[in-house]
Amino acid sequence: MTISNETLAQLIRPDSVNKRVYTDPDIFDLEMARIYGKAWVYVGHESQVPKSGDYHTTRLGDQDVIMVRGTDGAVHVVYNRCPHKGAQLLAEGDGNTGKFFRCPYHAWTFKLDGKSLAIPMKNGMAGTCYDPTHPNFSMRKVARVDSYRGFVFASQSVQGPDLHEFLGGVASSIDNMCDRSPVGEIEVAGGVFRVMQPSNWKVFYENLHDTMHARVTHESSFQAARDEAKSLGEMPFELLIMDGNGEPYEFWEKLELRAYDNGHGYMEGIFDPAAATRDPVSRAHFEALSSVHGDERAREILGVNRHNTIIYGSGSPHTVFQQFRVIRPIAVNRTMVEIQTFRLKGAPEGVFERALTYANVINSPSSNVMPDDIELYKRCQEGNQTDGGEWVSQHRYAGTDQALPDGMVSTNGTSELPMRNQFKAWREYMLGAASTESVCMQGEGRAVA
Amino acid sequence: MLLLDRNFDVSLTVASAAALSVDETRRAEQFLFQEAQYLDDRELDAWLALWDEDGRYWVPRFDNQANPFEQISLFWEDKMLREVRVKRLMNPRNWSQQPLTRCSHVIGNVVVKGRDAAGHLIVRSSVLYTEWRGEQRHLAGTVHHKLVNDGEGGWRIRLKRVDLINCDSVFGSLEVFI
Repeated sequence: MTISNETLAQLIRPDSVNKRVYTDPDIFDLEMARIYGKAWVYVGHESQVPKSGDYHTTRLGDQDVIMVRGTDGAVHVVYNRCPHKGAQLLAEGDGNTGKFFRCPYHAWTFKLDGKSLAIPMKNGMAGTCYDPTHPNFSMRKVARVDSYRGFVFASQSVQGPDLHEFLGGVASSIDNMCDRSPVGEIEVAGGVFRVMQPSNWKVFYENLHDTMHARVTHESSFQAARDEAKSLGEMPFELLIMDGNGEPYEFWEKLELRAYDNGHGYMEGIFDPAAATRDPVSRAHFEALSSVHGDERAREILGVNRHNTIIYGSGSPHTVFQQFRVIRPIAVNRTMVEIQTFRLKGAPEGVFERALTYANVINSPSSNVMPDDIELYKRCQEGNQTDGGEWVSQHRYAGTDQALPDGMVSTNGTSELPMRNQFKAWREYMLGAASTESVCMQGEGRAVA
Repeated sequence: MLLLDRNFDVSLTVASAAALSVDETRRAEQFLFQEAQYLDDRELDAWLALWDEDGRYWVPRFDNQANPFEQISLFWEDKMLREVRVKRLMNPRNWSQQPLTRCSHVIGNVVVKGRDAAGHLIVRSSVLYTEWRGEQRHLAGTVHHKLVNDGEGGWRIRLKRVDLINCDSVFGSLEVFI
C-alpha cells in the first residue's frame, strides 16, 4: 500500500506522533528508503578492518553490506551481492577475503572496491552484451562513504549534505571519545554483543534520552544494586552504574539535553566514574592524558561528561565508557543492536577493563538493566497494536526548549525535546526538508477521558 | 574491579588425575543435578549457597574464549553480581519477569576430568536448556564446573563455565542463570 505524503504529514505533530509510525510495515518500508536510503549511517570502525582484505559485514537499513579494507588502504562499502546470480559474496561476520572477492557460486571475482576482476571461461560470453567494465557486472558500491576520526559512515544517496555537515554538533561526542585517548585514536576491541529487541527502532532512540523512565522502569535493578552496596558497605563500579537510574526526579530535571539537526543530540552525564568506591582507573587515565596535553587540557577532556549520545539512524555512543550501541532496524517490530566496545590507544589498560565491565554489566544480553527497557519497548509495540488510542504523547516541556545557533537545548532535563527533535528529523526525511509543520492540536493530542 | 582480578584461574587444564571412587563420582553427578534443580525450581538462595566465596560464573561470548579479562562475556559474575541478579529477579517491580522465566535443565554426559593446579575437581557435562517467557527458547552447550571441597565431604562451586553452541549469535535478554 502506498502512503501519501499528506497522510504521512498528518502522523506527526509538534508534541505527539500517531502510533502508526511504530506499527505500520508500509511506513517501515518507506523509512528504509527515505531515511536509511538517504542519511549517513554508521557502518563500522576502521579498526575493525585494519589490513587489506579485512572485511566486516553489517546492514545499512534493509541492505546487507560489506565494509572492506582495499589494497590501497582505503575503506570501501559494497552491497553484499554478486552481480551474476545475486548470491551473497560473503557469509555474515568478520574475516579476510584476500586480494579479491570470489563468489562461491560460479567463481566470479571482484577487486576489493567491487570492480569486476575476472570470470571463468570468459569465451562463453563472446558475442553477448556481457561487459566487465559496465557497472552491471561489478559489485555495487554504496553511493558515498566517508570517515570521521575512524568512524566509517555511508550514504546510499549521491545527494545530500556531506558527513561533516550531517553530523553537525554531535561530532563533538566522537571527538571527545577519541580525545580520551592520549594519542587521539581508538579501536573496537573485546568483541561485539548483538541483542534483539522485539520492537520498533524509534522507541529505542526515544528512550536513550528519556530521563523520566529511569527510576520507574529500572526500579528492580537500581534497588538490587543499592541493597547489595548496603550489605557490602561500599559502592563499587559495577553497582554504581546500575544505581544511577535510581536518582530522584530533581536530579534528572537539572540535566542538560542537547538537540542538533538531523535528530542528533546528547544527554549530560549521570555519574562520575571516579565516584566509585573502588576506581583506581580515573587517576591513572588523567595522568596519561596530562603527560601529553598538560593538566588543563586533560581536565577539559575528562570534564566532558556525557551519558548517551544519539547519532540518529546510526545509534548511540557512550563516550565516557567507550561504547557504541549501533541500532539496526530489522523489521517494523524488530531491532538489532550491535554493542561495540572501544580501547583508547595509549590509555592505561584499566580504562579498557572498565569499558569491558560496563559492556558486560549494562549492555550485554545478560544485563540486569536492559531487560526492563526491552520489556517496555515490547509493551509499547503491543499496546500500540490495540485500538485503545491513536496518539503517543511527547508533550513534556514542549514549547519551553531554547533555540541555539546549531540546535536546541532543554530548560528542564525531563523535557521530551529529544523525541520531538527526532521526529522533526523523521518528518524532514520522510517528506522533504521544505515540508511545513502540521498544527499542534492541543487537547486532541492529549489523552481524553 | 572484578575484571581486574587476573589471578583467578579460569583455565580448564587438568594438572592431576582425580582418582575418585565410583561412589564419589556418583556424588559429583548428583551435585550437578541438584544445582540444576535449584535453578529449575527457582530456589535461588539455595543455588547461591552452593558457591565458593570467591567463585565465578562465566558464559563466554566466544568459542574457545581464553579468558574474560580481554574480551566481553555473556555472563562474568562474582558473588556480588550473582546476588544482585537474584535480588533483581525477586524484586516485585521486575517488569521483564512478568511473567517470570521458567526453565528446565537436562544435564548429561557427566565426566570427571581431573584436578586443576589448585586441586579443584574439574567436571564436564552437557546441558540442554529450555526456557519459557512468553515464548520458548532452547539453549545448549558444554558446562565445566570447578569444584572445591567444602571440608564436610561436599563441594562448593569455584567456577561454572557454560559454553553455548550459539555463543556468538544474536540474543534476546538473558535474565536467569543458565
